[in-house]
Amino acid sequence: MNYRDRSECGLLNLSDIGRQVYLFGWVDSLRDHGDVLFIHLRDRSGIVQVVFSPEFTDKAICSLAADLRNEFCVNVSGQVVKRAEGTENPCIETGNLEVITTDMTILSKSSVLPFSISEKAMLAGADNPVFKSASGAVSEDLRLQYRYLDLRRPTMQDFIIKRHNINKCIRKYLDDKGFIDIETPMLTKSTPEGARDYLVPSRHFPKRFYALPQSPQLFKQLLMISGFEKYYQITRCFRDEDLRPNRQPEFTQLDIEASFIDETFIYELIEELLVRIFEINGITLPRPFPYITWQEAIESTGTDRPDLRFGLRFIEATDIFTNTDYTIFKQILQRGGHIKGINVKGASNQLSKNILQNEYAKEIVPGFGAKGMTWMRINNGKLDSNIVQFFSEDEKRLIIKRFGAGDGDVILMIADPSRSLVNNVLGQLRLHVANRLGMIPMDSYCPVWVTDFPLFEMTESGITSSHHPFTAPDRTDFDPKDMEALLSLKSRAYDIVVNGEELGGGSIRIHEKKLQHKIFQALALSEKEVEEKFGFFLNAFDYGPPPHGGLALGMDRVIAMILKTPSIREITAFPKNRSAFCPLTQAPSSVDYEQLAELGMLDIKGKEELSGVSQQKEQIDNLSWLSRIGILEGERPEIKAAVADAVKMAGHVNEKAGSSEPMFSVFALKNRFRDGTSPKICNMVKNRNLFKNAPAVKGDFFKVDTILE
Amino acid sequence: MQETIFSYMDPAPPCAPENSILKGLTVAIQPNLSVRGWPTQAGSRALEGFIAIEDATVVERLRQAGATIKGATYMSELGLGLTGDTGADALKNNEADIVIITDNMGESRVSACAAGVFGFKPSYGIVSRFGLIGLIPSMECFGILAKKLADVSMVIGVIAGNDSRDLSMPDFGPESGPELKLPDFSRVFEAKKPARSCGVIRECLEIMEKEELSAFEATISKLAKRGIQTIEIGLEDFNMVRTVHNIIGAVEASSSAGKYDSVRYGHRAAGGKNWNEMYINSRAESFGVSIKSYLFQGSYFQNENYNAFVDAARIRGRLSAGLDQALENADFLMLPTIRKAIDPFTADTVNEIYDSFPWTLIANITGHPAITLPKMVVCKDMDIGMQIIGPRFKDANMLSIAAQLSIG
Repeated sequence: MNYRDRSECGLLNLSDIGRQVYLFGWVDSLRDHGDVLFIHLRDRSGIVQVVFSPEFTDKAICSLAADLRNEFCVNVSGQVVKRAEGTENPCIETGNLEVITTDMTILSKSSVLPFSISEKAMLAGADNPVFKSASGAVSEDLRLQYRYLDLRRPTMQDFIIKRHNINKCIRKYLDDKGFIDIETPMLTKSTPEGARDYLVPSRHFPKRFYALPQSPQLFKQLLMISGFEKYYQITRCFRDEDLRPNRQPEFTQLDIEASFIDETFIYELIEELLVRIFEINGITLPRPFPYITWQEAIESTGTDRPDLRFGLRFIEATDIFTNTDYTIFKQILQRGGHIKGINVKGASNQLSKNILQNEYAKEIVPGFGAKGMTWMRINNGKLDSNIVQFFSEDEKRLIIKRFGAGDGDVILMIADPSRSLVNNVLGQLRLHVANRLGMIPMDSYCPVWVTDFPLFEMTESGITSSHHPFTAPDRTDFDPKDMEALLSLKSRAYDIVVNGEELGGGSIRIHEKKLQHKIFQALALSEKEVEEKFGFFLNAFDYGPPPHGGLALGMDRVIAMILKTPSIREITAFPKNRSAFCPLTQAPSSVDYEQLAELGMLDIKGKEELSGVSQQKEQIDNLSWLSRIGILEGERPEIKAAVADAVKMAGHVNEKAGSSEPMFSVFALKNRFRDGTSPKICNMVKNRNLFKNAPAVKGDFFKVDTILE
Repeated sequence: MQETIFSYMDPAPPCAPENSILKGLTVAIQPNLSVRGWPTQAGSRALEGFIAIEDATVVERLRQAGATIKGATYMSELGLGLTGDTGADALKNNEADIVIITDNMGESRVSACAAGVFGFKPSYGIVSRFGLIGLIPSMECFGILAKKLADVSMVIGVIAGNDSRDLSMPDFGPESGPELKLPDFSRVFEAKKPARSCGVIRECLEIMEKEELSAFEATISKLAKRGIQTIEIGLEDFNMVRTVHNIIGAVEASSSAGKYDSVRYGHRAAGGKNWNEMYINSRAESFGVSIKSYLFQGSYFQNENYNAFVDAARIRGRLSAGLDQALENADFLMLPTIRKAIDPFTADTVNEIYDSFPWTLIANITGHPAITLPKMVVCKDMDIGMQIIGPRFKDANMLSIAAQLSIG
């Protein structure tokens, strides 16, 4: 028999009864009843129970079967039979039948596993086996180190296969819509916009570098100029950004661009696409997707990624306090400030005075960046708080009316001279309260398009594009030197946000060279800079570029949301860990000196050595780095002499030390807490909120590689 | 004159409580000791613009006892050595009755000796360090300078004692066992059994200059006339004192200075593109070259040769045991305090700083109490100081002996 005769374990069913089958797979689990041995045989399709018994199995095969262990790779011949009544196993699809073995070959053996792989119980009523290692919970790094084993688990296989199905669905859908899949280069030019590039040194052009693409942005626009009209690509992008728990140095983007279209084309295309791919895991997205302007999103939820699964929209309260006597508000309003709030309906039981004052006002809200928070509870139609005595009757009445407040409601307000701070802090508070009070419905999905972004924003280093400099503005009649006018421009950019998470975004692009130059002027880029950075790209705009626009979806996030996994690593076959390290391949790793030499990397900056060639580095430079103390001009000789002395001293004490007990302190010092205080574990630790963004956690502590880094 | 002595003067010192024992005494401190609202830079750019937010325990106790804290003098960077220190000048110019100087290497004793006054370093650990911006945690003590021994004794009586705010200070008291007994400073000047024996360290005598030795021997014979017998004691590791102090001091200083990261306070260099650049550039500009060299030494021991630190601690243990042993045979030990022809106030390399403290480092290493007495050992018109060392936590006895020796 050969592969053509193979049956798949998980696909066997009652119609196969009596049939002789030929199976390949892995031993998922074993149950030894003395003479009779049961195994769960697993292949990609599922699991079937295989029985070895002297009754129908050759004696030699039975004794071979006695050697079987978990995850041995085997090949079994046998007959499908119905299980005896009462021995069915509802945990597996094929639980009402089993295969009685006539022949078996061990194809390869497995060492002892670093963690268990089996996820299905062999007996009805038994708990499913727990995914764990010999030492308890499986650490993610261990899973990643043995990713090939981790991926054998049906749960992980299901994720990866569903991801495949999603990609397949996308390709089919876009193909039907006339989109063409075109590959763009991975080795390309470093563009100075955006995040840091991953660089690839070139051997043929020593000291020159390719950059891995942060996105195919320029190429997809060039493809529009080439006349492909509709392009898409599911492609890998690379960004060397700071580490975040749910970020990977390489990630997958669904990249789309089309000519002769406007925003509505994109909105319709993507709505239909998202609805289809969410349906793959049984999620029905509500249609049509609503729109919210950037301004409105910021003013009502404090973020441009609004989570609309729950209410708690912001309510403007500044005008209520125009003539207030309450000093804090008065001073803030005198400085041109703003007051806004939210009404947490019926929350007064959960948000006690103590929680509001001691947790929110004193700790949580200052952590968000505001000086404080004003809270009021409504009792018997009246406001109740530590500060209401400072409000006039009118003010109290207006507050209740404006917030639509009734008994049991809790009003939270933030006041600050900066409007953006009020919005930002209230936005964080909104999420915090909603999470704490369980106001966010599970399994609910609220997609929304965010539109009308500002074209420019002001940063410390001047005016910059909010999106990228190729985004079209809402009008073209602006003066590139009038800062105020520039900051009031809106862009034709859009983001698709689901449940407070940005899944993607894009824009209608500029296709007129004149307008593009105006934008560069506004960004204060000199012609020389523009030529250096984008020259090759802008030249193409001399040859009849079509109007075009597009969008990119962050596929890892989209898929993680569809498959409801907490991390994008779960739905990536071979991800890096939270430190951007690959425990499986141990990448990034050091390379041979010869490799560096060949690439001309050894004297890349002239006299200075490259880091990593530290054996040639001066000792005090290494110490300077370790102790994070720089050496100023002229200080080098003295520091060098001092370190040389230290080396001598070390030799001297080594000679004289002998083996007597070292004395580190004259007497045992005490470690204690201040009087009246005792060690306590704060709530953020108890509810684990503190560790939400921790790269790694050990007990109640953040685990970091080194303190300074 | 005041401007050259004080880096900061209290414009309106709080009124002293009535009938308090230190009433009328003015105290000068160093700007590494916290007084709420005072600029507290510890002589370093690393603490540029830092204003203390709480009173140090020492400050609180001095004020409660009626002393007036007049101001903060100038000090060396972070308290390593005496370069630029003006504490003793405050005494010489009658700007203060008491000066408190952090004693890491002998700063209080050496500056007292140069100014011709008493300089006392108490046993390590009996004074709370809460509110001190320290440098070498296992050695630092509050040194007290005064013209009158009685003032020294009163001040140490006020500032010594348990303080739960010093998070590493042990609780002195009967329940902590006989080892940890606080000296009783109330009875320093009551008649006691006079000292009978004085120990001198052989290895110390061997390395003295000829002139120093003859001045020292002259003092020994004076003591003999007063019935105090001199015993020569061998302390084999004495010539390792400087090395041991330098290694341990540099390591601890490097740890202590790790907190100056420019994030929440202190000088921050402009233009760092990331955290590391900000740390490196800020710390490059924050530390002067001599303390920086010291920190580099510490970094070397910590990162590249930790064994050297352990080895130094082994020798430290032997030195400590050696002094304890010696003080079982003699009532006190005697050494000079300073060396001729070395100016501690202008030293500006790690080596020059260490050159300034040839005889005082040992008491910092071992934590024994020590005091320098003026005008007892005079070498060709120069007072090189009579430094006496007493048993650990027997500070009051040692002060009694100092009183006995300095009378007549």
